[in-house]
Amino acid sequence: MNEQLRTIEFELNGRPTTMSAPVRETLADALRHRCHEKGVHLGCEHGVCGACTVEIDGRTVRSCLLLAPQAEGHSVVTVGGISGPDDELSPLQAEFSRQHALQCGFCTPGFLMVARELLDEGDLLTEDLVRERISGNICRCTGYHNIVEAILVAAEERGMRVERTENEEAK
Amino acid sequence: MPSTRHGHDTTEMGGVGSTVQRHDDHALLTGRATYVDDVEPSGVLHVAMLRSPVAHAKILGVDARAALELPGVHAVLTGDDVAAMATVQPVGWEHIDDQRPSPTYAMAIDRVRYVGQIVAAVAADSRALAEDATELIEVDYDPIAAVMSIDDALSPDTPPLVPGWDDNIFGSQTYTTGDPDDAFAEADIHLTEELTIGRQFGCPLEGRGIVADWDLGTGRLEVWANSQSPNRLREVIAEVLDLAVADVRVRVPTIGGGFGSKANYYGEEILCCALSRRAGRPVKYIEDRRESFFGTSHAREQRIKVELAATRDGQITGLRGHVIGVLGGEISSVGMGPVWLSAVSMPGPYRIPNVSLSVTGVMTNRTPYGSYRGWGTPKAAFAMERMVERLAMEIGVDSVDIRRRNFVKTSELPYHNGIFATLDSGDFHLALETCVEVAAQNGWPERRVSAQGEGRRIGIGYASFVEATGIGPSRVMSELGIGQGGFDEAVVRMDSTGRVTVYTGQAEMGQGMSTTLAQLAAEELNIPESAIRVVSGDTDACPYTGYGTGGSRAIAVGGVAVAQAARELREKLLEIASHQLETSADDLQVQGDRIEVRGAPDLGVTLREVAHAAYRRLTKIDHATEPTLQGRSVYDPTSLTYANGCAAALVEIDDGTGAVSVIGYIIVDDCGTVVNPQIVDGQLHGATTQAIGGALLEQLVYDDEGQLLTTTFMDYLLPTAMDTPRFLTEHLEFPAPNTPGGMKGVGEAGTIPAAPAIAAAVEDALGGDRFLVRSLPIRSEDVHTWLRESAQPDAAT
Repeated sequence: MNEQLRTIEFELNGRPTTMSAPVRETLADALRHRCHEKGVHLGCEHGVCGACTVEIDGRTVRSCLLLAPQAEGHSVVTVGGISGPDDELSPLQAEFSRQHALQCGFCTPGFLMVARELLDEGDLLTEDLVRERISGNICRCTGYHNIVEAILVAAEERGMRVERTENEEAK
Repeated sequence: MPSTRHGHDTTEMGGVGSTVQRHDDHALLTGRATYVDDVEPSGVLHVAMLRSPVAHAKILGVDARAALELPGVHAVLTGDDVAAMATVQPVGWEHIDDQRPSPTYAMAIDRVRYVGQIVAAVAADSRALAEDATELIEVDYDPIAAVMSIDDALSPDTPPLVPGWDDNIFGSQTYTTGDPDDAFAEADIHLTEELTIGRQFGCPLEGRGIVADWDLGTGRLEVWANSQSPNRLREVIAEVLDLAVADVRVRVPTIGGGFGSKANYYGEEILCCALSRRAGRPVKYIEDRRESFFGTSHAREQRIKVELAATRDGQITGLRGHVIGVLGGEISSVGMGPVWLSAVSMPGPYRIPNVSLSVTGVMTNRTPYGSYRGWGTPKAAFAMERMVERLAMEIGVDSVDIRRRNFVKTSELPYHNGIFATLDSGDFHLALETCVEVAAQNGWPERRVSAQGEGRRIGIGYASFVEATGIGPSRVMSELGIGQGGFDEAVVRMDSTGRVTVYTGQAEMGQGMSTTLAQLAAEELNIPESAIRVVSGDTDACPYTGYGTGGSRAIAVGGVAVAQAARELREKLLEIASHQLETSADDLQVQGDRIEVRGAPDLGVTLREVAHAAYRRLTKIDHATEPTLQGRSVYDPTSLTYANGCAAALVEIDDGTGAVSVIGYIIVDDCGTVVNPQIVDGQLHGATTQAIGGALLEQLVYDDEGQLLTTTFMDYLLPTAMDTPRFLTEHLEFPAPNTPGGMKGVGEAGTIPAAPAIAAAVEDALGGDRFLVRSLPIRSEDVHTWLRESAQPDAAT
């Protein structure tokens, strides 16, 4: 079979990385199979569920909607790159555990990537904003309640202002 | 709130009643967990399935020669291959008297009966190549008219889908108690409704997958599968492929959600084993999202005709129901079990002396109907609670008053309802009152009133439920014709360094099974739960579970076996320590990492010393004491046990679009002894959210020709964070009276009351004087119509 392979040089979780992948392979598949980043998960492969979310050049993207060669020259961060050097959980990851914001874990890497981005954005986080910003990630296990709380608590721990709504009004 | 806690308070050890860090979290949070698609044995080939594009057809021929010749293709299976090597797929539930034998094989052989049914399977160097190969397979279909509606399926003019059957009824049965005909004849009030529940499914975010390695060198078949029931899967594979069970090993990696979907057995599993044998290599099949809509068990869809007889002051005297389950074109591994359960569960928490409930399973050209969290109970609760609302409207009282009037009282327990349930525990009145109180404390009634003043439409609705959990007593299951036991076996072993491992046949699918079983063992042993490892998911190493993980039994059955095994281990530990300390075992207790004399904690030995003696330094144990340290228990429950509760929904309806938002939700749940409150809440949140999806968003839609129109997440809408509110939960603890430890199940509870509570809330928001919701999901276009039809939009009950 004549698959056209491309050598792709990029930065993965802070390390210069080279991978060889067919040009038509998605970035999600390439990260999983060429770079052994098994924390990148495939839940739908059509850009709805968000389980494949990674960060490229500081912005979250759905890696199932990108082709592997599109990583060339860019900086990619996956869930495999957000814990500490000895695999210690980041404060956000630790808060997810404390708040039981994960059950089966399949959606969790995607939520962590989106939450990280949200926590870097400003000094005020409302529950409405959190729900809106994570609405592009589907979780079938938790019902989102604990995910929202984990993000809000993590924000408070970072010194951000947080506004919770209990039984909020309809949006 | 009443609650009982058995034994000492071991919250310092993270025992029963504690919230602790879950054992699985680190791996899941760092992306290191191994799901089935991460299992990649050397030389693995990839499998693609050729699926039927038509709903109903004879297969006149399958020509796979071109696929076989494609370089990189290692094996191809067609229906003829499967007919030669496999028996019919087993059906575990054969409890309907005249239930027909299943006609279902791992692959379609001479007929297809649903779009997406597998017609051929290919193993190749890559998934992409395997898919290319499937496109080279020529299938000669001779189409037959698709049978899609219940009425068509039941019509005598419609040929049966299954050749040799007289009709399209898979099975049918009626259950009766008292004298319903008399009750209805005498009734002041006789209400009739026909309700429809849409087709939905569990839809875990991770699809199904399997890696099969049939090692021709050793004769052993090694399988990795994200199955909720590994030892049952092992038996099914052995039975279908005519192997010895001992020659099959099933291992379970991390599972990305199950919800019952992964408790059923599927043709793909058999086909992968067969492909591996043929190719002489391991093979892997991963269901993609599109395939999940065709290939994973469908659920929920029913038509329910329900009648209520009552006195004019709201006492229910009779219930009649006929549930028609819209089965698929083939039979799933649970037969029509979920449909049956929805019929026999209909009386719920109510005292109804005269009941007749019928159930019929009808074949149509759809994906097979199988397990989904809640199984039958959500539909039973929908029917019963809708009729409670209907009766309330008829009489002009609040529906909570109807509930209060008709609930079985605690003084009547145990209460056998004459149909199926023996309600054993719980206080249904208290659950309802608690729910009403929480709603009041959170200002829900005021929000409703002030919303009206602003021209907004907010409504409140309630629903009560009971739920059979802890499936189940093996003898009862065998008598019912269920081909599986209901017991669980557990082993708790201490190694030579004093560390404890729990071995269970249960499956971890994110629900926190590993953590809670460790907590139960910690409670018995009085050692920290964080030091206890739980091993599951390997049929070579783990004990036997009669029924796997489903039927809300992981704690209520599996957990009891673990606790009992841990107790046996503790006794052994004390026996050895007693010898070493020359003190009676009655005066000793385990405390953390030591065994101490009660009242004189300085006198003791470490667990490490005891373990070392039992495995490696045998002079330090009594010569009559057996080496090694292990407890083993088989627990077979003596009865099912009934979880129960009440939920309330606060909804707002958009006046312009009819869209319904759930802006508040309360669930009061009695799951008996709570092992881990945070995990219990997590189960309630998640199950409720699935039910919100079922009430408002999710539907698998077929056209008249049997084409499935909903095959992406843009068609089948799963709830997002913007579709759910914060959840308010309250735990009641009425221990299961016949279960050591008092635990009941909780995994499914949240799915049960949400749809009827939301339905009632929608009607309340629309004025509360019209019975409108007769089908699920509740569509915004219908709400929009009801808004326009509303004569007095500001009226409220």
